[in-house]
Amino acid sequence: MLERGKISALQMAFMMNPTILATGLLLVPAITAKTAKQDLWLSPIWASFVGFIIVFIAYRLHKLYPNETIFEYSEQILGKIPGKILGVVFVFFYFHITGIIVREYGEFVSVTFLHHTPMVVVFAVMVLVSSMAVYGGLEVIGRCSEMIVPVLLVLYLSIFIMLFKDLDTKNFFPMLENGLGPSFKGSVVLQSWFSEFILVSFFFPYLSNRDKGMKWGMISVLSVMVYMVLTNIMSLLLFGKLTASLTYPVMVAARYISIADFLGHLEVIVMAIWVAGTFVKITVFYYALVLGTAQLLKLSDFRPIILPVGFLLILLGVWSAPNLQELSHFLSTSAAFYFLSIQVGIPVMLLIIALIKKKRKQMKGSVTG
Amino acid sequence: MMAFRRKIKTLKSQKEEWIRHNQQESEEEQNKELEALSSDVFENETVLKSTFSDCPDVIFRRFLIGNESKALLIYTEGLANIEELDKNVLSPLMQQDTARLTDIQAILEQKLSVSKVNPVNTIKQAIQEISSGNPVILIDQQTHGITLGLAKWEKRAIEEPVAESVVRGPRDGFTETLSVNITLLRRKIKSPNLKMKSLTVGRYSQTQIVYMYIEGIVDHHLLDEVHNRLSRIDIDGVLESGYIEEFIEDYPFSPFPQILNTERPDVAASSLLEGRVVIIVDGTPFVLIAPTTLYSLFQASEDYYQRFMIGTLIRWLRYIFILIALLLPSSYVAILTYHQEMLPTTLLLSVAQSREQVPFPALIEAIIMELTFEAIREAGIRLPKQVGSAVSIVGALVIGQAAVSSGLVSAPMVMVVAITGIASFAIPRYNASTAIRMLRFPMMVAAGTLGLLGIMLGILTIIVHLNTVRSFGVPYLSSLAPMKGEEMKDVLIRAPWWSLRKRPRLTGYSNTNRQPEGQKPDPLKGTE
Repeated sequence: MLERGKISALQMAFMMNPTILATGLLLVPAITAKTAKQDLWLSPIWASFVGFIIVFIAYRLHKLYPNETIFEYSEQILGKIPGKILGVVFVFFYFHITGIIVREYGEFVSVTFLHHTPMVVVFAVMVLVSSMAVYGGLEVIGRCSEMIVPVLLVLYLSIFIMLFKDLDTKNFFPMLENGLGPSFKGSVVLQSWFSEFILVSFFFPYLSNRDKGMKWGMISVLSVMVYMVLTNIMSLLLFGKLTASLTYPVMVAARYISIADFLGHLEVIVMAIWVAGTFVKITVFYYALVLGTAQLLKLSDFRPIILPVGFLLILLGVWSAPNLQELSHFLSTSAAFYFLSIQVGIPVMLLIIALIKKKRKQMKGSVTG
Repeated sequence: MMAFRRKIKTLKSQKEEWIRHNQQESEEEQNKELEALSSDVFENETVLKSTFSDCPDVIFRRFLIGNESKALLIYTEGLANIEELDKNVLSPLMQQDTARLTDIQAILEQKLSVSKVNPVNTIKQAIQEISSGNPVILIDQQTHGITLGLAKWEKRAIEEPVAESVVRGPRDGFTETLSVNITLLRRKIKSPNLKMKSLTVGRYSQTQIVYMYIEGIVDHHLLDEVHNRLSRIDIDGVLESGYIEEFIEDYPFSPFPQILNTERPDVAASSLLEGRVVIIVDGTPFVLIAPTTLYSLFQASEDYYQRFMIGTLIRWLRYIFILIALLLPSSYVAILTYHQEMLPTTLLLSVAQSREQVPFPALIEAIIMELTFEAIREAGIRLPKQVGSAVSIVGALVIGQAAVSSGLVSAPMVMVVAITGIASFAIPRYNASTAIRMLRFPMMVAAGTLGLLGIMLGILTIIVHLNTVRSFGVPYLSSLAPMKGEEMKDVLIRAPWWSLRKRPRLTGYSNTNRQPEGQKPDPLKGTE
């Protein structure tokens, strides 16, 4: 096996949480508000079903092939050549999606804080730090997220609490003005975020307590859903119909906070949360990418390809979109289908074929036996 | 080209031959040393005398046991207790009138009133014993000698440890003498389960190293690892436990110390009770404790002697000051350079006013001031005490006041440096505070180039690094990451002793319970 480390199911849950939330927290309210209007807080609930289904599928596949990641069992399920092709598709997909995440992070930092710093520098330092964590292996990533994520979640809640006096519950209404339709539509984009939960299939084989993998995976989805609902409620109650027109509603919300005239401009906390969360997110994707590539190419160690992959990630960050508007447009339109077809469609297909194969084997076995 | 290669080849072969020759020579030497003692006492004398040639402090004393059988006493001047030697060894043996006592066993049993006596079989053994201070007696017609445990030299008395002082707690500290240090630990833990193993490291210094553990608590894999790492060391001399530390740590390129050192027997004893291994090196009062986790570097022994609420509060104060020591200068730089809007207007105005005259950017100003502070601190340690006060005058007057009034440095910067300095002194372990102080500089550079993002990335780098490091197989951030709920009682707070039921889990699972449940004091206890 390429990875000798073991993580606990709890650590996996902590890793997955910011992997979905980090980019979600800032962009999601605006994107969902465009279609769901004042019902945007319902959308994460609908979207989370995709997350639950994905974790379930990944767990079923894991049960069938307990010691393998999705790159390895796709070859077993589909046969050598189609499996390899699927592996190549996955590797390119992860290259692309990680590049997009790196870009989202760079855009945010350079738009809100470092206007004059070249974006490549911003990418490069983050990818460098992430590569350090990837170099440490799964255990290090698990332990880092176990340390960082609880702090992030508490800090994020504290923003919510500090904004409490500015919230206006009238913004909830008219609730369900056009029925459930708009909130469903708004959830389509969110589903692409939740579909990223397919990453758990990389971690299931390395869990020290495998029987709890499903439970903690589900709890992780639930926590992401709760935080997204909270974020959407926060921006809805604070900005009302304005939410859709803001790029980073949470960022603007943090500027509202002012306590005792001294504690102002808390967008720094948001930035801290966001950078730390994105660090976990990029690291998890980066790790999956490196591990998957090593498994696809049957390398004996994944460490030598970390830095080359990191270099490509920086380039992909630059190439993935010409500007933030294009990126946002891509994410809120075609990306949903792109992400969903690969992160949900392929695993579902794999599971169905695997189950059919298993049935056939059993039938053959009963015939011959 | 060819000629050049041939030359290299001949050079190589010459070198190999030379090495082989040297090896042979040293092997011959060793063989000579390993030789058994000859039965002729004068032959032994010549061998030993040639070994100890030009060592006037090694005394050879010929004498007769009972006027008849020849004997030789060898000891090192200043390392042996001569009074005892005269009174209890030489006089009974020389005043013996019957010469029949030539059998060593008989001499040992009847005549030598010395409690610690061991046989010596080889020349090498004899050399070792003589060098470490134990007198050796060789007797004619005998192939064994005797070594007497009469080593005694001038040593420092047990004093209060200088590097770790406490308000409440035992005041004894380790000394430079190994046997005294072992005694100090034995006095604290009187169980026969306190075991120790001894090694000799250092080809010339022949330094004795003892590692101690409590049988039944310690994990045996850990013990094997400690033994293996210690026995792999090959060095000419060991003068301080720092030498050993650098040879056995896991990540030599980490700024963080992975092995704890202490001068306090109570700290060592409490580590032993937690299943750690204590390594004592002869010749230094600093004792090593492995494995170590990061949080134990931030704990003082006094936390456990004071009431638990105060212990918890002080612990948190320390955590906050560690963050300040690491982050305050870099945050100041980042805010002044990139995020001025974060400061409230009045504060921003007063800072801007005091910085009006300063010619440097905040980063340069901070680095200059921090370097100056470090220099003053270092000078204060190294200088003779009489001159020490001059440093503080120069530091306070010239750098504090004059720099500000001349407009080279802003007053807030001086405050930041001062607070950071105080904060770094609040860390109880000197080597841990050095690590934090060192990391402050890269953090300042990161803050000066990328602002708060740089600080955040710096923190993330440190977190990743700390999570990578292990100390003897134990994750460095253990009980925080990987998280262990029960052990958080000794990290986030200092829980009262009756609730600290479990030992921290280091590498093994053996014997985790410190004490039984239900010992919370209650006035009604025992009355029903």
